[in-house]
Amino acid sequence: MTLASAFRLNRGLLLDLADLALTLAQRGGANYSDIRLGETRRESIQAREDRLRDFSESSERGFGLRVLVDGCWGFYGAPRLEESSIREAVRQALDNARAVKPIQAQSIVLEELRPVESEWLMPMDVDPFDVPADSKADWLLAVTAAALESGADYASASLSFAKEERLFANSHGSRIFQSRTRTHPQLDATVVDKATGRFSSRESLTPARGAGWDYVLSCGLLAEAKRAAEDARRKLDAKPVAPGERDIVIDPTNLWLTIHETVGHSTELDRALGWEANFAGTSFVKPEMLGRLRFGSELMTIVADRSQQGGLSTLGFDDDGVSSQFASFPIVEHGVFQNYQMALGQAHLIGLPRSNGCAYADSPASFPIQRMPNISLQPNPSPTSLNDLIADVEDGLYVVGAGSWSIDQQRDNFQFGGQLFYEIKNGQLGELVRDAAYQGRTVAFWNALDGLGDASTYHLAGTFGCGKGEPVQSAPVSHGAVPARFRKVMVLNPEQGEA
Amino acid sequence: MFLSASDAKSIADRLLTLSEADACVIELNGGDERSLRFARGGATTNMATSEVNLRVTSYVGRRKGSVAVASLAEEDLDSALRRSEEIARLLPVDPEYIEPLGPRNYPPTLRYDEATGVQGLEALASAASTVIAESAARDVHAFGCGSSGRRFAALATSAGLFAYDRRSDTDISVTARNRADSWSGWGGASEFRSSNLDVAGVARRATEKAAHDAPPLDIEPARYCVIFEPAATAELARWLMWMMGSRPADEGRSFFSKPGGGAKQGEALFDPKLTIRSDPEDRLAPEESFGYEGVPQSKRTWVDKGVVASLYRSRFWARKTDAEAIPFASNFTVEGGATPIEEMIRATKRGLLVTRLWYTNMLDPRSLLLTGLTRDGNFLIENGRVTSPVFNMRFNESLAALFSRIEAVGPTVRTWRAMSGGVVAAPPLMVSNFNFSSRSSGI
Repeated sequence: MTLASAFRLNRGLLLDLADLALTLAQRGGANYSDIRLGETRRESIQAREDRLRDFSESSERGFGLRVLVDGCWGFYGAPRLEESSIREAVRQALDNARAVKPIQAQSIVLEELRPVESEWLMPMDVDPFDVPADSKADWLLAVTAAALESGADYASASLSFAKEERLFANSHGSRIFQSRTRTHPQLDATVVDKATGRFSSRESLTPARGAGWDYVLSCGLLAEAKRAAEDARRKLDAKPVAPGERDIVIDPTNLWLTIHETVGHSTELDRALGWEANFAGTSFVKPEMLGRLRFGSELMTIVADRSQQGGLSTLGFDDDGVSSQFASFPIVEHGVFQNYQMALGQAHLIGLPRSNGCAYADSPASFPIQRMPNISLQPNPSPTSLNDLIADVEDGLYVVGAGSWSIDQQRDNFQFGGQLFYEIKNGQLGELVRDAAYQGRTVAFWNALDGLGDASTYHLAGTFGCGKGEPVQSAPVSHGAVPARFRKVMVLNPEQGEA
Repeated sequence: MFLSASDAKSIADRLLTLSEADACVIELNGGDERSLRFARGGATTNMATSEVNLRVTSYVGRRKGSVAVASLAEEDLDSALRRSEEIARLLPVDPEYIEPLGPRNYPPTLRYDEATGVQGLEALASAASTVIAESAARDVHAFGCGSSGRRFAALATSAGLFAYDRRSDTDISVTARNRADSWSGWGGASEFRSSNLDVAGVARRATEKAAHDAPPLDIEPARYCVIFEPAATAELARWLMWMMGSRPADEGRSFFSKPGGGAKQGEALFDPKLTIRSDPEDRLAPEESFGYEGVPQSKRTWVDKGVVASLYRSRFWARKTDAEAIPFASNFTVEGGATPIEEMIRATKRGLLVTRLWYTNMLDPRSLLLTGLTRDGNFLIENGRVTSPVFNMRFNESLAALFSRIEAVGPTVRTWRAMSGGVVAAPPLMVSNFNFSSRSSGI
């Protein structure tokens, strides 16, 4: 690994602007202030059949200044990196803090923050933004061609890249430079039976990663395109699933999203406090359940971290300037709920000393809110293969790839589809079936976990875009998982109206 | 950053003059927005932001390159222009290339009020204060978000087109929860003009719905007669509109595909009581003045008394299929009827009143099978009366089926803008045999 993503913005300019903002803010009456300055670059390339539909680059430079005045936050963000904008931002942020004073029932209280001077630059071999446009186009068109040659009637593929470069600075003296890059190659193959009007699609299982162009070349999407086309054809001819309670073995390509929705979101402290009640929702996990709630079976250990190589939430510090060393903690340990995810100013509300480094702002000009670090299901320490899990199922299903998803606003009732559902009969993998989804209640589901793959079966997946907050912010996050077996889960055929 | 039409045009014209490509399109958008969130009677986060984005798309020999920058600095714009040309030269020929549109006439915009666009955070704090006072009076907790601002969008082409639109927005949404945290209610509204925003009405609706001390009933998930309040109807209608693309239908991968080929345009697929229209001059939900590729928006019927009247279509697909290019409508109206919601309730022997929906997602585009949950105000109706809160439930139901079982339609109102950004005017809708598949404890 190299430091291909070395920081490219003018550090001196950023430091000068940060110093100006923080000095003026403190002079204007702020008790605390912080600022994020930087740039997010994006590239989106889309192909459809033999056509390159779109190739677009974008960049967004700017800053977001947050001030705390007499226990009230004020914030202003703008898409410019210049002195006049900073001066205007200080004035507006201070005005905003004073404007909310009449409705600040409870003062914002911050924990002690130690000044940090540091930098964290994500290592990678090849920066995707340095790769020529035609090389990317050729690669993508080869993916759609592979799907079409293997029987797809339609094939869409895309490459998405994002690169964040930021300086975090606060009035306590912290100055932190960070840079990270993420990459997502995707494919969707569709087959159509025009005579009957039926069609089916298979989306790729290749995950998004905190990685560069080298990941694109090694991710295997080209080979997967062929399988995806064949799978889509087989799905079209598959028999409908028989609904009912079944044992299911869930592949990590599907389970990561279930972890995200049921565990990741339910253990966010801002939700538990009601701060997201009007949109993203609250949580069934209440603060009094810390250390007590039997969230799942003994096999269930789910940890937060910001250090996994390839993780979409991997970095050195969060957007409150809190070190990622605090973001390594168990959320659920041997089935028991142990820790919430927290951002600045929240920990004291449940009697804890400090944030555990889970803040993110989706642009320098956005207000940082609590967002997920990488959150992953830990492997079985005992040697266990996927086949071992399947072997102990008499009548069940094996679920592969994420499909449609939906969960209630307290993260209890969920329903997940998938890309591929295989029957399991007498311990053997059987036929592909279609129109299936599994539905459950979070705690009952995780307590029905009775088998886990070992470390050799571990797979890291994730998403570029998890939405939360008002206005909605989009955060990248990874989830690692191993294949897992759950007993007596409700399998639906929603197409037949069966529940 | 908010730009006037003349400022946007002069920025675009300068770039078009500098362009060395065969054709060039400039898209500009931006605005200023303020938002304030509150929870349990006090402020949590607030934001004031200013943003601007310029995208330049260059076409060189039917090859396309596109670059966007969040800046109006001339050096950034010039660099974006050159880079878009460089990308275009590197890429393969686009078999679906279509030359940029020339000048068009656009309808006037009815969506802008200067005073609303520039109002400060004090106005939002004042609105929040009204909500907090109402929640205190009813002894419930209030959680909400208010926002206001103004945005513009402009599009210019090397073929001489210039389009500009602007809008102001102000929104308030409130979720109220009882003190025991065992029941909730919701209200929301969006307006272009702050003087029309009924903050007190939103607060009253949310807190009234939440002010129930009795625990919600746990009823069996099954098929029920359901009365959807306008916000819920709007969400269902949004999904229907998203699925009404002409190309997927023609290609055989849509609910609107005909077996054997072609689209089901002109077919009666829904109840005759369903009509959906969009119109830039609509009183409640005026559509933008221009859509994708700069095609003017105009008065359009999408579903006419249950018959599919229009499907949206790009200019390329329109040329290929010898049909009209129709931009997607993000602001539209579900036509109302004459049955007030109170009358629907009186006519219901046993059913549910649904305030809003949550986490809706398409399970199968072939049958328009949608899943999702009820949220923040789910009530049992028995013998013509609302009798009790009931736990939320998950539904799995086809949009095609539910829009074919409309029993009654109420008066259309403008609904909350939601995440989509578009405004939908929708009525309360009474639907029979709506399929709930499981319970949720989520309040």
